[in-house]
Amino acid sequence: MAGPNFTVEQYRRRQRLWNLLESRYVVHLVLFLAVFFIVSPLIWQLLTSFKTQQGVLELTYLPTEPTLAAYERALIDRGFWRAVVNSVLIATASTVIVMILGTPAGYVFSRFRFPFDNAVFVFVLFTRLFPPIGLVTPYYRIVTTFGLLNTKTGIVIANVYLWLPLVIYIMRNFFITIPQALDEAARVDGCTKVQAFRYVVFPVVLPGFAAGTILTFLYSWREFLFAFTVSTDLNSMTIPVATFLFVGDAGIDWAAMAAAAIVAVIPSALVVVFFQRYIVVGLTGGLKG
Amino acid sequence: MAAEELGGAPHGEGVVGQLSDWVNDHIRTVLLGPSLVALFVVFIYPATMLLWLSLQNTRGIGETFEPAYNYGRIFTDPTFWNAVEKTLIYSTGSLILSVGAGLAIALALNKVLDSRVRNAYATLILISWAVPLSIVGVTWRWMFNGQLGVVNKLLIDLGILESSYSWLGNSLSAMVVVILADSWSRIPFAAVVLLAGLQSIPQEMYDAAKMDGATTLQTFRHVTLPYLRPSFFVAGLITWMFAFRAFAIPFSTTGGGPGGATETLAVYIHRFGIQLLDYGFASAVSVFLVAVTLIVATGYVYFILEQIEEIEV
Repeated sequence: MAGPNFTVEQYRRRQRLWNLLESRYVVHLVLFLAVFFIVSPLIWQLLTSFKTQQGVLELTYLPTEPTLAAYERALIDRGFWRAVVNSVLIATASTVIVMILGTPAGYVFSRFRFPFDNAVFVFVLFTRLFPPIGLVTPYYRIVTTFGLLNTKTGIVIANVYLWLPLVIYIMRNFFITIPQALDEAARVDGCTKVQAFRYVVFPVVLPGFAAGTILTFLYSWREFLFAFTVSTDLNSMTIPVATFLFVGDAGIDWAAMAAAAIVAVIPSALVVVFFQRYIVVGLTGGLKG
Repeated sequence: MAAEELGGAPHGEGVVGQLSDWVNDHIRTVLLGPSLVALFVVFIYPATMLLWLSLQNTRGIGETFEPAYNYGRIFTDPTFWNAVEKTLIYSTGSLILSVGAGLAIALALNKVLDSRVRNAYATLILISWAVPLSIVGVTWRWMFNGQLGVVNKLLIDLGILESSYSWLGNSLSAMVVVILADSWSRIPFAAVVLLAGLQSIPQEMYDAAKMDGATTLQTFRHVTLPYLRPSFFVAGLITWMFAFRAFAIPFSTTGGGPGGATETLAVYIHRFGIQLLDYGFASAVSVFLVAVTLIVATGYVYFILEQIEEIEV
């Protein structure tokens, strides 16, 4: 780094540059730019959603006559309120199933030795790393064979495949942080193994469980690939799929598309605002260990 | 039983008691079994079918067993190699932008001392991560629309552009837009992982560096970067892996166009498997995608493990 021609003057200049980079002004400038980059596309969607169909063509930044008509066109005229209901049902059902299956499984991986335990765990990781697009083709055929095309069940099953390995992995990492002595103490006090898990260890891991639940709900809410493959009718399609369907229109009603997009983003945004810390824990908890 | 001698749970009476004993004795099966059965049904079954389909010729009517047919097509079909090329550009571009911007954000967040301010920033930055991927696509599609898009409007108002530019109609600019859209949704994840890495660096290391009279640059190079390396690799691998298999963002932003210019492998698989119903070929391409992902991921993980050992020494 410091070659033979590296003078004291150059050294000081560099030091000043680095001190400047570290100053609070630069820090806040970087963060302000980042927030602007992240938030402005959503602000633009929000502004578009308040415009009239004519207003969109006028190329103004702000809606000239703000109206909620676009929401009416998207949700009521096109019936996409049903997609919102489907999304809520599908995300809730997927989360409940995945957490009920994944939490005890994560506990087993954190505590017990059994034949091929490492191999089984690697298998779980493998299913997590496997690119879901690879399963879409066979899954489409299976769903067709079993008459699950255009059903909410078909989407829920796909969500179980997508998020169960992740939850097993995350929950295992949370359980590992809890000393095994706790289980043993509970056993000595007369708990069965199930009771030790249910009444002693589980309450301690509750923040991790909350993180897993929130993450699974958000991921299921966001999911597009399988939801789109399984369903494009109003009985079962989700709101991300419904919003995408505007793209296929001959003359796209951009205001209504923006309204649908905002409806799809609001629950995600609320979850992030209220549970930001849990999400960060979940995202990083899924990596360590 | 050992547990009973220690004062553990007594053996139960009757059917319920026997059931509870059985559960206690088979705790691993009871707690893990359902998950494994579920994974078997929702993963092993379709994955086996994937391999089987990739050996079938499904181009015409019906299916015939021709093991070499689809894999042969892979190596001779120029559109496949186009998709491979686009996927590499797409995933590399997104990797560099996401991890680069994520690092800048993480370093900046780490300097914000007031935790309320830091959380406020973090919340705002996390929002794009939570946006459904198809919404990311249609949002960027709308912003970069040729006639009505806000980006053209802004650039014309600022005097940078003279007339509307068809961003998504040009191969190069369409790729730039999908990469930007992809990074937009991935930056928060990279930032969060890197911030966690930064916060795990012990303060004593910085204090020691200061005592030794290290400059800011030296501290960054010799304390921050080595400690950050594992997080850096994890953020990089995951970002790349998910960008490499990206479907929803390119599909909903450009649909793979113009003329295949942004057709990633995932979009390509979807086109053949779901739209053209050529299951066999789509499956063979899927096998290729899976193999590449797993080879890179495995190699990378070994590489990371070696790196981490070096740091600990």
